[in-house]
Amino acid sequence: MKYSEITIRFCGIAGDGIVASGKILAGACANIGLHVMVNNIFSAEIRGLGKSSSTIRFSTSKRYSMGDGLDLLVGMVSKESIIDLRDVKKGGSVIYDISTIGDVAEEDSLISHITPEIQGHGLPIKKLANEATGTNQGKNLVAIGAICYFYSLPPDMFIDQIKSVFAHKGEHIIDVNIKSFRLGYEYFREYYPLNNQFEINEGLEPKALTSGNDAIARGAIDCGLKFFAGYPITPATKIMEIAAKELPKLDGWTLQMEDEIAAIGAVLGAWFAGRRAMTATAGPGLSLMSEMINMSVMAEIPAIIVNVQRGGPATGMPTKVEQGDLNIALYGGAGDSPRVVMAPTNTEECYSGIQLAFDIAEKYQTPVIFLSDLFLGQRIETVTIKENIDRNRCTRKKPTSEQLENFLRYQITDDGVSPHIVPGEPGAVYSITGLEHSVTGNPNYESDVHSMMTAKRFRKFQSMVPDLPHANVLGDETAEIGIASWGSTIGSILEGMEIVKKKGIKTKLIKSIMIHPQREDLFRRFFASCKKIIVPEMNYQGQYAALLKSRYGIKPIEVHIPAVEPVSPLKIAQKIVEANSELSK
Amino acid sequence: MKHVIIGAGVAGITAAKTIKEIGKDAEVVVIGDELFLPYKRYLLTDFLCNSIKRDELIFFQIGELKELGIKLRKGEYVKAIDPSKKLIKLHHNEVVHYDKLLIATGGSPGLGLVLQPYKKHIHFYYSLYDNLVLKEKLPDIQKCIVFGDGVSCLDLICVLCNLGKQVTYITRGKRATFALYECDFEGELHEFLEEKGIEILTEDQIVLIDESDHGYKVETLKQKMLTTDIVYAWDYYQPNISCIEGTTIEKKMGILVNARLETSDEHIYAAGDCVEIYHPGIKDYWINFGSPNALEQGAIAGRNMLGQNEEYKIHEAIVFNLMGKSLKARWWK
Repeated sequence: MKYSEITIRFCGIAGDGIVASGKILAGACANIGLHVMVNNIFSAEIRGLGKSSSTIRFSTSKRYSMGDGLDLLVGMVSKESIIDLRDVKKGGSVIYDISTIGDVAEEDSLISHITPEIQGHGLPIKKLANEATGTNQGKNLVAIGAICYFYSLPPDMFIDQIKSVFAHKGEHIIDVNIKSFRLGYEYFREYYPLNNQFEINEGLEPKALTSGNDAIARGAIDCGLKFFAGYPITPATKIMEIAAKELPKLDGWTLQMEDEIAAIGAVLGAWFAGRRAMTATAGPGLSLMSEMINMSVMAEIPAIIVNVQRGGPATGMPTKVEQGDLNIALYGGAGDSPRVVMAPTNTEECYSGIQLAFDIAEKYQTPVIFLSDLFLGQRIETVTIKENIDRNRCTRKKPTSEQLENFLRYQITDDGVSPHIVPGEPGAVYSITGLEHSVTGNPNYESDVHSMMTAKRFRKFQSMVPDLPHANVLGDETAEIGIASWGSTIGSILEGMEIVKKKGIKTKLIKSIMIHPQREDLFRRFFASCKKIIVPEMNYQGQYAALLKSRYGIKPIEVHIPAVEPVSPLKIAQKIVEANSELSK
Repeated sequence: MKHVIIGAGVAGITAAKTIKEIGKDAEVVVIGDELFLPYKRYLLTDFLCNSIKRDELIFFQIGELKELGIKLRKGEYVKAIDPSKKLIKLHHNEVVHYDKLLIATGGSPGLGLVLQPYKKHIHFYYSLYDNLVLKEKLPDIQKCIVFGDGVSCLDLICVLCNLGKQVTYITRGKRATFALYECDFEGELHEFLEEKGIEILTEDQIVLIDESDHGYKVETLKQKMLTTDIVYAWDYYQPNISCIEGTTIEKKMGILVNARLETSDEHIYAAGDCVEIYHPGIKDYWINFGSPNALEQGAIAGRNMLGQNEEYKIHEAIVFNLMGKSLKARWWK
């Protein structure tokens, strides 16, 4: 068979080199200019040999999601891989280890669960790894060697990658890993000589691999992040790890705090002192931060809170994806507590979006909750990061010398934004508090003062609209079926739209990184042009749909997917087809 | 009752189908070593010539398997049988228990000592896999050498000739006879093939094969130096019975069965090209080769595994179509 796109999953337990397998395969593919996306799934349990998997999708054209189904499942450990068989496409393949020591019961054998639509390929993974390395290490390279032959990929692309990945471990480790690779390759060449063809375009430029978490951290650093405070939590920890490594080189600080409340407190303190600061957490951490986010709203101190969403509520599913934190991000504060909520839809937007978040936060003196999710944060993909961000688009409003003579920290203005100066600078003497306050910052509970200050805090959200990026309409503008969604679900929707396009169904999608506030004029115009509106998202309640319904008065077809895995493009396509059938009636 | 069938060819699949048709509640597992769905081996040549599509080769569709509740396991080898524990062990050490077992592993070509060292340069023409390999190579092939005996060898020569390839046939015999004992133009087969443009080298055999820049160099016993793009060769065709090694199941060249297709173990049956059945005419065991026999044996074995009592009647020969002419052939002398 000929392929221009392949999805492969390595499945096993900790210690099998599962993640390393994905890294090597993805790196090799990216180096020859292919488009790659990798989704790693780990066990939530820190102790013990939990199951882990790495799914790699590589293609000659740009892809937006992990797609549907696997072309190949590599079951490094038999029993743990059985459930993954359900994801293998009809006509797909499975590589399984035939060098198992000791008897294997029929019910625990991966191959005994394979249906005739799927093709099993035995490979003595352990035996060949042992032959190459003298240990069980190198099993993943044996499998990658077999894959290389199976899809007629050039061996050199892997040899180069092995040399690069293991360079720091010395010649011997490189040699034994290359030997493992070659043994897997040769075994498949001898026993499964009729291989497939992956069509590679020669001479493409290598592509860079980045994760959403990586892009957020680097985007923040590139736009002046100087202080990071956080408490480790899956799936956001990587952001803190990068900050801890990079900020000291740039005269910055990273602090691991005792909990999330302390972390957001430290971030507010840093902003108060004039430093760009950020924290990153997941749903449980965001819950803990609620009160200090309110402090940010009331005191009008900027804050950047990245929330890499995972399955909830409570501890929930630390290693599974869900978009269930929209409501808490929008409404999770006591009182009338406006905050900016942004949700990047892809890795590129993680980089550019976090920079916009910083600028908005600083200019409008507001907390910005940046809603990523586990799939977007942890997946690794080939992306082109545009670093030509306009550094002067949002600047802090500073007081004039006249205003400084009698400085009013919370001066009432038309746009709701008061001139601001960092304490310690000449004339910058003022108090801040979580209590309601007058224009000076001193506590004041008078009814008209509270009304005036509340209106001021909300007025900023109208003022900032011109600074917001446009919502993009993708697809066929003449389509009667419109789709609105947010975050990483957008990728699956784009592929779902591609599927139905082949069936002659026209669709269009409105996509914006801004959840609140939004360019409402653009959304209203879009919805007015649709006869059917579909709103898919990865949560049970339909949180984004609820927002759109109340904001725009629409009655969409809601697709609520309480997800564990990224959304299936086929599922989206199916919903579109159903909507199209209703239109035709 | 769990019925395990080793072999997903005509005999094995027919037995599985028969068992499920009669005993719906029976659990049936078929384990085949080929990577494909069960196919009609006798149509492979038509497929090679593009006379039929690949789908038409399929002997049993997935839908039928599902409907009947037959579990088919492809691409798996049975490395051992333990009749005392009524279990089989697969190549990856998986243990599968059975109540009744049918061995229907067929036969396959093999190489003798002279050709063994050149195994990597030699192709067989037996399975769908062999066929697909040849199909892929066909555009680059002009000259072919075929060495061997039997009907499949004749079949290959004819198809290569029909596809416009230059064929050299090497045989140990004085003439090209292919072990046929009766045909419409008996005694004229050698000349018939030569008229078709096939070069026949008699009383000779391949002794050396070496890679060259554009194919292979082949040397024969009579020191003829030949060049070719591809070499097809086999010394014999034998029953696949390695899975019974170490057991007490009686065998000669194949697994010995009685007319009810029972082996010497009461829970194990055997059918198709892997068995030798007692022939009252020649007063010895012999192999009844070919798809029609396998089909019949599979059905009988299936019924007997469910407790029926049916006997298989020996057929003397198979009927073979050779470029429009009818041949009767006995495979095993």
